[in-house]
Amino acid sequence: MEIIIKDVIGPRCIIKEDGQKIYEKIHGPLTKAETVTLDFDGVTQFASPFFNFAIGQLLKDIEEKDLRCLLRVENLNETGKLVVERVIENAARYHSDIDYRKIVDDILEQQAKESE
Amino acid sequence: MPQKIIYIPRINDSPADFAELFQIWDEVNDDFENVKFDFSQCNFLRPNAVAFLGGLARLIESRMGTAVFDWDTLKNAAVMTNLSQNGFAGHFEHTSSRKTGNSIPYREDNVRDVNGIMDYLEIYWLGRGWVQVNQPLRDAIVGHVWEIYNNAFEHSGSGIGVFSCGQHFPRYNELLLSVVDFGQGIPAKVRNFLSSDPRAKQLTAAGCLRWAFQSGTTTKSKEEPGGLGLDLLKEFVQVNQGKLEVYSNEGYALIDKDGEGFTNITTSFEGTVFHITLRCDENLYRFADETNGNVPF
Repeated sequence: MEIIIKDVIGPRCIIKEDGQKIYEKIHGPLTKAETVTLDFDGVTQFASPFFNFAIGQLLKDIEEKDLRCLLRVENLNETGKLVVERVIENAARYHSDIDYRKIVDDILEQQAKESE
Repeated sequence: MPQKIIYIPRINDSPADFAELFQIWDEVNDDFENVKFDFSQCNFLRPNAVAFLGGLARLIESRMGTAVFDWDTLKNAAVMTNLSQNGFAGHFEHTSSRKTGNSIPYREDNVRDVNGIMDYLEIYWLGRGWVQVNQPLRDAIVGHVWEIYNNAFEHSGSGIGVFSCGQHFPRYNELLLSVVDFGQGIPAKVRNFLSSDPRAKQLTAAGCLRWAFQSGTTTKSKEEPGGLGLDLLKEFVQVNQGKLEVYSNEGYALIDKDGEGFTNITTSFEGTVFHITLRCDENLYRFADETNGNVPF
């Protein structure tokens, strides 16, 4: 399966609704271990909400290593590469349960130090 | 109904100037208030003040009050020129025609107008020839700045939308953009999200901002991954030696090339201001990841 992103979304991949559209197209095939290619030729602008929904959500059902084998991404510009890589790292951590208690602990400790 | 007169002072963009703005918010933050803004004491107004005062006027109107800018009191020619050029005066019933100059238009977004906002950033903010960067970098910058707007529309709960204004300062070689919402504010949202953890009540506003700027933290539901927008923006600003300031409730965040700082402030308001300063020098810009060349797939 190959999707020409510009034809489906346009040149701006920045909002979650557009990410969701792509997720709905590729989630089924990927969970059946089919290879999917996303071609970003002509897409110039990227932001995290798009990739959070298009790709980050996939990591609920698919292991990161499997996703990296099954999903091919072509013609992605530098910003797109930066954002998607960060989204994958983040989503993998997120779906494995981010430790919010630990973050609160760390910040309270920092607060205490600053008030000394 | 009595009319309250607010004298707009000289307002720059230091923390003390923001405190003046929040003091004005506090003075008019009553329901059913009629307010007249008087410019007779104002001889300087930065874009952060323009965006904030425009939004404040709409906030008053949304509460069934009236907000009037008394143009007859504006005697300072430079301020009048600025407010005409950026379109603010035209938004508030002044008959001036808008020119361009170094101003970047005052903008109101009641709802999320994705292409309108992106065109604004691309054409009016960056695209006027004062930031000499190539097209791919221009696309990268507007993508990162979009995260501010996305954050405001996704998280703030502002019933009246988002207000923006910018300016180019050739003397300082700086480009400013202020984005203001009158939603609940980031600290309030974070405390609410963490309400199941009793210790979260001890988090100060500064602590809540620190939480929000951590990579991967989000106040969205468990089903939606998120929490990268502010982190990516922070990284971009630091790499490019710009400055990002965030005022939200009684918290203040300052992110620049030297690091990040989160402090509590005494004068607060209900909402959030993002104030971003970029340097107009291509030598200060590069892609954050251009040195590692990672390919994700």
